[in-house]
Amino acid sequence: MLFGAVPAPRSPPLSEFAISVQRLTKVYGEPPKAVQALDDISFDVRPGEAFGLLGPNGAGKTTTISILTTLVRPTHGQAIVDGLDVTREAEEVRRRIGLAFQVSTADGELTGRENLEVAAGLEGMARSESRRRVQQLLEDMQLLPYADRPVKTYSGGMRRRLELAVGVVHSPKILFLDEPTLGLDPQGRAGFWEFIRRLRKDTGVTLLLSTHYLEEADQLCERIAIVDHGRIVAIGTPAELKARIGGDTVVVRPTQGQELTALLSAIPGVQGVTALDGQFRAKCARGEAMVPPIVTACAKAGIELESVEIRKPSLDEVFLELTGRAYREEEGDAASFFAERMGQMHGGGNR
Amino acid sequence: MYRELGALLRREFLRWWRTPVWILSSLLVPVLYLILFGQGFGQGLGQCPPQLGLSCFLGAPNYFSFFSVGMVGFVALTMSLFSGANIIFDKGLGIIKRQVATPAPRATLFLSPLIFRSLMALMPAFLVLGLAVLLAHIPGFVGLTITSNPGLLGAVEILAAVLVLSLMFNALFLSFGFALDNPQSYFGVVNLLNLPILFLSNALYPPTSEPGWLMSIAAYNPVSLCINVLRLDLFGAGAYYTYPAAVYLGGLFAWAALFVGVALVVGRRALRTP
Repeated sequence: MLFGAVPAPRSPPLSEFAISVQRLTKVYGEPPKAVQALDDISFDVRPGEAFGLLGPNGAGKTTTISILTTLVRPTHGQAIVDGLDVTREAEEVRRRIGLAFQVSTADGELTGRENLEVAAGLEGMARSESRRRVQQLLEDMQLLPYADRPVKTYSGGMRRRLELAVGVVHSPKILFLDEPTLGLDPQGRAGFWEFIRRLRKDTGVTLLLSTHYLEEADQLCERIAIVDHGRIVAIGTPAELKARIGGDTVVVRPTQGQELTALLSAIPGVQGVTALDGQFRAKCARGEAMVPPIVTACAKAGIELESVEIRKPSLDEVFLELTGRAYREEEGDAASFFAERMGQMHGGGNR
Repeated sequence: MYRELGALLRREFLRWWRTPVWILSSLLVPVLYLILFGQGFGQGLGQCPPQLGLSCFLGAPNYFSFFSVGMVGFVALTMSLFSGANIIFDKGLGIIKRQVATPAPRATLFLSPLIFRSLMALMPAFLVLGLAVLLAHIPGFVGLTITSNPGLLGAVEILAAVLVLSLMFNALFLSFGFALDNPQSYFGVVNLLNLPILFLSNALYPPTSEPGWLMSIAAYNPVSLCINVLRLDLFGAGAYYTYPAAVYLGGLFAWAALFVGVALVVGRRALRTP
């Protein structure tokens, strides 16, 4: 092998990281209609880690996953997956990663087993090897009783599990999950988390998942990057992020919408007040201790209160603190609309 | 490459096999043409006036024989019309996106429907031939009379002509499937192309009955080229054709090479990483 087989000299392995993202930027379209989906984001994921991208729809989560899985080219910046550059070594990256899409990509006319076998074939697996692996996966995902039914008869939760199985059919080192529980009810979501936890325990796979469900990120991820408008606004373990708030928040809503900032700020123990949508948020060390003085002060000033609420540190609060906006877990987006409609045409839908 | 292609061909087969309406209709449409259109026109137009010999049907002994061989080219065309529609639906359903995310070579993503659809077209095409011959033996029906033994070489030429024609049309319509994003525009294009391809050929009537400019277009129509090969081999009527069957077959290969090339380029562009 004298010619062509010598690998081009590359700078020393960019990282011991499973995923390393440096100053990644993505602009869709040309000016003046250009849309900036990602604006200079950087983060690293360690091997075996579960890393979450948390943010509202349109924050840039799917774009990030699309770049890391070689489906979209970055405009600027670099992304290294398992030591390989996603633009220059795309095909090799595709061999090493697994991916579950936001909306099921299974063929509704084929059975779950057939879908998995086709997926295994597309990964270059031999038939004998793929048969065993598919049987194992169907069992692991508790799909065995439905394995030989067409996927168009599957429920939403079964489709999500099948999509996950397709993503790991070739036992990838790194797994990307784009909104893995989108459209599931809370019970289905919690059930799905168990599958992911078991998968991590059994395989040690590195996991990068995007979600707009705060609880999902909190439950599944060791570290989280909060993404908003194409930027990472904070990064850390869920505990670290919550600690940034530095205490509880008492949320006060007056019935008449009166201005309370000055009144609340004057109460000893209140560390700061912000107003949002007719509510006043008083930060303090312990909310329980602050409710009585706040209620008393308002009563003295003759202000009637509609509600008083103690909020413990949560990712909602972190998001609000960092972006100045309340977090909304909206469902669906334009991109998945066609796919969902087509899914219904195939007799499925969310069940 | 072969495992990936094998997996995708299996998917094509399973989708086809699970859709009996599709299978039945693709077989019934040509059969209905033979019986409804073929019997009516076949009995009406019948034979050439004796003074013209066999010239008016290009060597075929009667109109039905002429027409039923032409139907083979027509079947290859109609069978390919929908191949691109599946690509549009696969794109909408995210199935293509999933395929693109795997290490499978991109070429396999459009080679699999191309190969499968082209082979599938052989079945109804040869069903038409068989049925047309059978009709000749049923009282009250006109049928296909083969007047020359094609021999082994002729049989191979016939098979190759139908397969290559089918390959060409499937490549053409798959290209539109990859290039277009919604079913409405796709079916608009199909509807637009279907008519001239069929009527600017010698499938339904001899080109001698057309004005000169139409005749010259019809002569290069791949449907005509395919049917020329079949008529030459089944009626042995070399006197009515300018070239031997091999030349028409060569022309057909050239058309197919062109359109498969176009399909590869269009497919590659459509699957390019944005």
